[in-house]
Amino acid sequence: MIEARNLTFSYGKEKQALHGLDFSVEDGEIFGFLGPNGSGKSTTQKILTGILKGYGGRVSLFGEDMQSGHTQAFFQKIGVLFEFPYLYTNLSALDNLHYFASFYPREQRRDAEELLDELEFKKDFLNKPVSSYSKGMRQRVSMARALISNPRLLFLDEPTSGLDPSGAVLFRKIIEKEREKGTTVFLTTHNMLDADLLCDRVAFISNGTIAVLDTPRNLKEKNSNHSIVIDYLYQGRREEQTIEAPDMKAGIPFAYDELISVHSQEPTLEDMFIQYTGRGLS
Amino acid sequence: MWRGFSHLLKKDFRMMISGKFFLLALLSLCLYSGYINFVYAKLDQKIFPVCLYDPQGRLPDVSEYVTKLDSREALKAACADQYSVGIDLSHAEPEIYMLSCGMETTDHYRMAWGEAILHGNVDGQAERIGANTREMKNRREITAEFLFFELTAVGFLGLASMLFKEKQMGVIRVHGILPVCRGVFILSKLLLLLCSDLVFTILLTVINLGVSEAVEALVGVLLQAGILSLIMALVGFLCAVRLPDFKQFSLFYLILAVFVTTPVFLAGQTGMKWNWIVYHPMYHLFEAMKGAFFLTPMTKAPYYLACAGTIILLFLLSYQTLNREMAKEG
Repeated sequence: MIEARNLTFSYGKEKQALHGLDFSVEDGEIFGFLGPNGSGKSTTQKILTGILKGYGGRVSLFGEDMQSGHTQAFFQKIGVLFEFPYLYTNLSALDNLHYFASFYPREQRRDAEELLDELEFKKDFLNKPVSSYSKGMRQRVSMARALISNPRLLFLDEPTSGLDPSGAVLFRKIIEKEREKGTTVFLTTHNMLDADLLCDRVAFISNGTIAVLDTPRNLKEKNSNHSIVIDYLYQGRREEQTIEAPDMKAGIPFAYDELISVHSQEPTLEDMFIQYTGRGLS
Repeated sequence: MWRGFSHLLKKDFRMMISGKFFLLALLSLCLYSGYINFVYAKLDQKIFPVCLYDPQGRLPDVSEYVTKLDSREALKAACADQYSVGIDLSHAEPEIYMLSCGMETTDHYRMAWGEAILHGNVDGQAERIGANTREMKNRREITAEFLFFELTAVGFLGLASMLFKEKQMGVIRVHGILPVCRGVFILSKLLLLLCSDLVFTILLTVINLGVSEAVEALVGVLLQAGILSLIMALVGFLCAVRLPDFKQFSLFYLILAVFVTTPVFLAGQTGMKWNWIVYHPMYHLFEAMKGAFFLTPMTKAPYYLACAGTIILLFLLSYQTLNREMAKEG
């Protein structure tokens, strides 16, 4: 679906944003592009969505070289959720969606009301101007805008930003549903929970280079110290022991009266990010 | 492409309505027309007072416009206002005495009027100026000025304020990933503003010149209004996209209004003479507009070539600036 080879980009002569990125995204995959602010995430997404030109290297989407120009057919196949909910604030949610949908062929469009319903948008606000919406409601309308054209490739930039926990769960479900339909998702975020729960593979980008690219599970396993922390009660006292995972083969290798909890000491995706890039996510 | 264009047009029309663009245009139309019909059309310049010092009584039958004085000192005192014209017949050779008002053209008219009085060649005030009555001359003159002002300042501001709103909402960036040509985004705004300006032009001309005079002048006037409207809309578009906030835009607007259009009005409407004004592009647009109202249309090909070149150049610059805005960070 997406293939980038030796992708470079500079803002002016001295500010090189991307230093030869190599990655590919398969059909139907959710690919996470993770990095702190200013690492080159947005620049990469802008190149892939055809907004930025003048890059070096080779990028192809849908099997076509991006240098050959962006036709209307290309834009008909992609959907983009920006980091901020860009909407006409003087228009209602429905008017916004009808307007943006009108640029796509009729047979490709989804029903705006159904889509908003799926995104649990409050019905009372359907015809009220966007200026009266909360941040979460605006984000829902923006997501609906990105999905209204039934895109084959979906670019999501910080999709759960501005949402409450239940909204974030809902958005993850919607993204999963898109994947089930066969949509490829390019997820740009510095939210490690989203990446961990959603992505098939993630790339850590820092200072314009990809530090590592793998599945979240592999990344965590490779860097795990394979130890387990066991919290238990023995002879009326609460105790804790750390053991190596292979020692568990024959069961718990010490005496106890009651187990309270068993925790694997697997690193988080954020720990991995810091380890590979030497930077935290902010 | 054209499916997208019609939706853009519809959206821009709604934006113009919500921005009260048409209401402002209607208010301007009422204001201008009220002033033209109730004030300016009836204005007439006060005739230059003529004072005569004729101690020998060489001019027995003097016109009603002449005030007789009995000394040279009284003549000098009467002409101290730099407006009156004095005639001294105390010597063998008649002498015209006047203090310059500072404007060569006006001084020339004063002198001509004084000589006409001296030769008894006075039929009262002029009733016709060229092919126009005094009132029609006034109407054509002021309508041209108001239209020029409306198109350069008000129309420019209208489009820019609409675009600033879209910029603040960030929706310009969304258009960068829609299956619609980016040039069409500019074209829809231009077309809408052009149509609105042309309708405004027709109404202003018909209301203030009358139907038959308006019909005669309209082809030329619409052509000049169209050129001016396109140029100013593109300048407004460029500035609104390029400048980061409305404060900077307001400053630019002030510069445009004060330093760009004021010299044009002064050179075109008063006796002020500046040789450099011919290098001022707006001066030619203003003169062409005035010419169209006075049925002497601009026929010079270089003028139209320069206008077409400017419009194409501004469009390309706007296109480039729009692409840059779409790629900006949020």
